[in-house]
Amino acid sequence: MNKDITRDGKANGSSQSVITTQDVNLWYGATHALLDITMEIKTNNVTALIGPSGCGKSTLIRVFDRMNDIIDGCRIEGKVYFRGKNIYDPDVDVIEIRKRIGMIFQKPNPFPMSVYDNVAYGPKVHGITARSHLDEIVEKSLRLAALWNEVEDRLDQSAIGLSGGQQQRLCIARALAVEPEVILMDEPTSALDPIATAKIEDLITDLRKQYTVVIVTHNMQQAARISDFTGFMYLGKLIEFGRTVQIFERPGQELTENYITGRFG
Amino acid sequence: MVEKFHLKLDDMKEEVLKMGFLAEEMLEKSIIALKDRNKELAEEVISKKGEIAALDFNIEKDVLHLVPLYQPMAKDMRTIACILKMITYLTRIGRYGKDIAKAVLELEQEPHISKLVSIPYMAEMVNSMIDDVLKAFETEDLSLIADFDERDDKVDALRYSIFRECISYMTENPRNITQCAHYIMVARYLERCADHACKIAEKVHYMVNGEHIEIG
Repeated sequence: MNKDITRDGKANGSSQSVITTQDVNLWYGATHALLDITMEIKTNNVTALIGPSGCGKSTLIRVFDRMNDIIDGCRIEGKVYFRGKNIYDPDVDVIEIRKRIGMIFQKPNPFPMSVYDNVAYGPKVHGITARSHLDEIVEKSLRLAALWNEVEDRLDQSAIGLSGGQQQRLCIARALAVEPEVILMDEPTSALDPIATAKIEDLITDLRKQYTVVIVTHNMQQAARISDFTGFMYLGKLIEFGRTVQIFERPGQELTENYITGRFG
Repeated sequence: MVEKFHLKLDDMKEEVLKMGFLAEEMLEKSIIALKDRNKELAEEVISKKGEIAALDFNIEKDVLHLVPLYQPMAKDMRTIACILKMITYLTRIGRYGKDIAKAVLELEQEPHISKLVSIPYMAEMVNSMIDDVLKAFETEDLSLIADFDERDDKVDALRYSIFRECISYMTENPRNITQCAHYIMVARYLERCADHACKIAEKVHYMVNGEHIEIG
């Protein structure tokens, strides 16, 4: 057993946790989609969630920034602490939570506006109006998303004209522009070709220096390549959680072993 | 896809076992050839050199072909890692058998000194270790290799005792030197074979439960 985190997802090392869930249960109407999820997401690490389709990994990642709130019939019990505060408390400002916890989706979803405006959109919503300040944020975010060199001459052109991989990096730049602490990624490369995927993976590896990343992926090799911690989910349960190296080399649970060696799923 | 991978992995394990039995046979027959001064049998052992080298080459090639195609994980990957190391150790065991067979060809037709000292007994111990580790690989029964530390110690002790005994015979009579020098070399080869059996046991242990251990 590694010394930083236990298999059921509880951290016992010195590295700080940014998000902690405690006995989280979630229902979509009568369907019990998440069962007693207790886990910790460590700061400046990449955490991957893997598991077969319908296991609840996307649902879980959406719990972290209350994206499930907008789904009719969705009910959640348990605690989700972000920096020590339960984000499901009634006094929590959801907009503020989503500013500090950004989300990247499976398909790139740039706004139908210029590259510049896509990135400047968030800061503008949050009250930044000075052009020089916005210029600075746009450049910094695009550089962090490893896109600046490819778009610096076409900032005024429509983002829709970018390639799929560039669009996804633009979405990452857009998320970074509001200076989040955590970036959630729900299968961010599943719609991309291998070269664009490699660029996003390199980017995620770089981002961990400044941000905490949680990624849902179907691609186990991707999880093995880029994450520090991996959680394996099955039928709404977190079956095993631990260091990625341990999960992929020597999983503790037979179910995890069977899944990652392709015996089911 | 995945089922195909597991079938291929099973085939590969069969090939490794085939290679293991060949290495074991080469070592066993080389000792029989030594005991009986059977040059024909020694020639037969030497002729197997190419067969074991081909198995080594082909298994390695097949394994390296499987890795990028299926990107195995967890126990599948540990099995692949075990096989890759194991075939090297098995090749060396086979080659020690060949080296002993070559010594048989070089020895003159004189009676063995002191019934070959403890070499037959030592060979029996080493062969049982190889046999057990191959069975452990096949069945994943780690109890078969649980006492390898002690067995390796006994083999080491035997090599030393053969060495001391041979020194005495050589000191007593210089005409014993050639034979005893061969005996010392054979004992050394057998000791190395036991070491390789221990290394294989370490890899089998890793394959089965993912823990790295040190034996011998």
